[in-house]
Amino acid sequence: MNQPLLKVENLSKHFGDAGAPVRAVDGVSFEIARGETLGLVGESGCGKTSLVRTLLRLNAPTSGTAELDGADIAHARGKDLRDMRRKMQVVFQDPYQSLNPRMRVDRLIAEPWALHPDVLPRAQWPAEVARLLVAVGLRPEHALRYPGEFSGGQRQRLGIARALALNPALLVCDEPVSALDVSVQAQVINLLATLRRERNLAMLFVAHDLAVVRHVSDRVLVMYLGKIIESGPTKAIFDRASHPYTQALLSAVPTPDPTQRGKRKRIVLQGDLPSPSNPPSGCRFRTRCWKATEMCAREEPALTARGPDPALLTACHYAEPQGTN
Amino acid sequence: MSLLDIRSLAVSFDTAAGRIQALAGVSFSLERGEVLALLGESGSGKSVTAAAIMDLVPSPPGAVDRGAILFDGVDLLTLPPRQRRDLCGARIALIFQDALASLNPVYSVGWQIGEMFRIHQNKSGPEIGAAVIDLLEAVGIPDAARRAKQYPHQFSGGMRQRIMIAMAVALSPDIIIADEPTTALDVTIQAQIVDLLATVRQRSGAGMIFITHDLGVVAEIADRVAVMYAGRIVETASVFELFATPQHPYSQGLLASQPRVDVETPDLVPIPGSAPNPAALPSGCAFRTRCPRAQDLCAEVEPLLAAAGPGRQVACHFPGAFA
Repeated sequence: MNQPLLKVENLSKHFGDAGAPVRAVDGVSFEIARGETLGLVGESGCGKTSLVRTLLRLNAPTSGTAELDGADIAHARGKDLRDMRRKMQVVFQDPYQSLNPRMRVDRLIAEPWALHPDVLPRAQWPAEVARLLVAVGLRPEHALRYPGEFSGGQRQRLGIARALALNPALLVCDEPVSALDVSVQAQVINLLATLRRERNLAMLFVAHDLAVVRHVSDRVLVMYLGKIIESGPTKAIFDRASHPYTQALLSAVPTPDPTQRGKRKRIVLQGDLPSPSNPPSGCRFRTRCWKATEMCAREEPALTARGPDPALLTACHYAEPQGTN
Repeated sequence: MSLLDIRSLAVSFDTAAGRIQALAGVSFSLERGEVLALLGESGSGKSVTAAAIMDLVPSPPGAVDRGAILFDGVDLLTLPPRQRRDLCGARIALIFQDALASLNPVYSVGWQIGEMFRIHQNKSGPEIGAAVIDLLEAVGIPDAARRAKQYPHQFSGGMRQRIMIAMAVALSPDIIIADEPTTALDVTIQAQIVDLLATVRQRSGAGMIFITHDLGVVAEIADRVAVMYAGRIVETASVFELFATPQHPYSQGLLASQPRVDVETPDLVPIPGSAPNPAALPSGCAFRTRCPRAQDLCAEVEPLLAAAGPGRQVACHFPGAFA
């Protein structure tokens, strides 16, 4: 029972030639417990998507392992592979591209059962489709429509219904609300929260919107240039982030409160993201960090507890919470 | 006299589903030195408003059906096309969301910025070259003399948006219209660009229309906000009033749907349903099908934008704080 649902150890995914590979994911380790929502944040190019694709086995890892419920994701074959896919389902970012426009909703949602025939006898498909549609806030009669007849938020609900069809233990949500309008985004966030409670679903929630991640996650990982540079319980990350990059990221998010204008201290990062095929020596963030010293170029900081909170892990030689007063 | 005064502007488009009303009588004004945010979700008519001001509504299928766009007292809609283009090009600048699609890939960025001067002013070649480098430095592009010779693909997304801003402020326009200028950018870059826009606007004293769906960005940059829904303005207020005491149920719904990064948000309260099909809008108030306060009157009579205190307007039969 204490065994984590997903256990990722020292996972790397490199692209391109072996001489100077693009180190998209570089030695990443983390776990997700049953029923837990883990947020994964980082800016474009940090390796979020490569990591997700490797976990879903859409990429083969260069090294390291990822185990789902004890089964090695990269090497599962035959029945093990099918079992693994049943336990882990995806909700994609773009509800317009991830649903086949020529498939009627009942077929779309039932497709997983066609691929996994032992899950549900065909006679029960219509009833189960109706039940899933209701579970995601749609109506049973929607089963007879096509994706084109739905709005963006409704399509995302269809994507979620399909992902739930096999009753997975882990839902990988890759930017599930970033294509949606704010008012509809809140509907989908609330839906995911409800489903998670009802089904004890674990989620890997990938997003660039930090406010959304704070709202849905139990724990958060922050990635920079292929590495996890900070991880911890959501409250610790948002209130006592100790890595300069996390602090800069949080300080850049605009607050929807005009009375706070100009009052918050904003950390402006210099320069652009370095190339992942030729990352800086030592700490990868040092080229943009205001705390960097010679030690940061020499020695790569380990991801470890650096303050009183043993759950907040920070990969920085000079980690400390901001504005400690 | 306001710098820009838009009155009862209506724009429609022919679509496969019939003629749709993209703007159904939009009125607002912009003062010199003011930042007005047009806030709304997809399809609310924000970008069409910008296109109508700049004469960029594709026709056909689109058409400006009625209304007036008074710029310094002159109605742009009655000007001959050539005159309107000269006026808009020199004194109203538009910054698009997608800088890569707005820049020409086969000309250097310096050449493209210089084009503003070649078309609208009588400057010599060396003068233009110097002005371009000044502009690139003003928008924070390091090593400007060398970078001016490079092409759009050699710049990052944030840098390209800086080039768009340099181009927009080249002729010191009276109005800068920024259409979702930070939406495609990462959050740290977005913060830089919002700061830069605020700085260049202050320096030039221009008025700015900032089009966005992002409440956080509105709170950072706007003086006044016009909230749009289904081709109409449903509420205008100072940015402080809007966030403190929103009057229209849609504005209230938007604020309640938005999680925050700086504090723990209690439960989000989404607006039920989704934006109505523009080809089949509900009768009366377009928001009534999603509105917690809707009554029979809302289906019968469309509420007009009416004064609700100084500098404040609301289009709702039952405005006010949440009961």
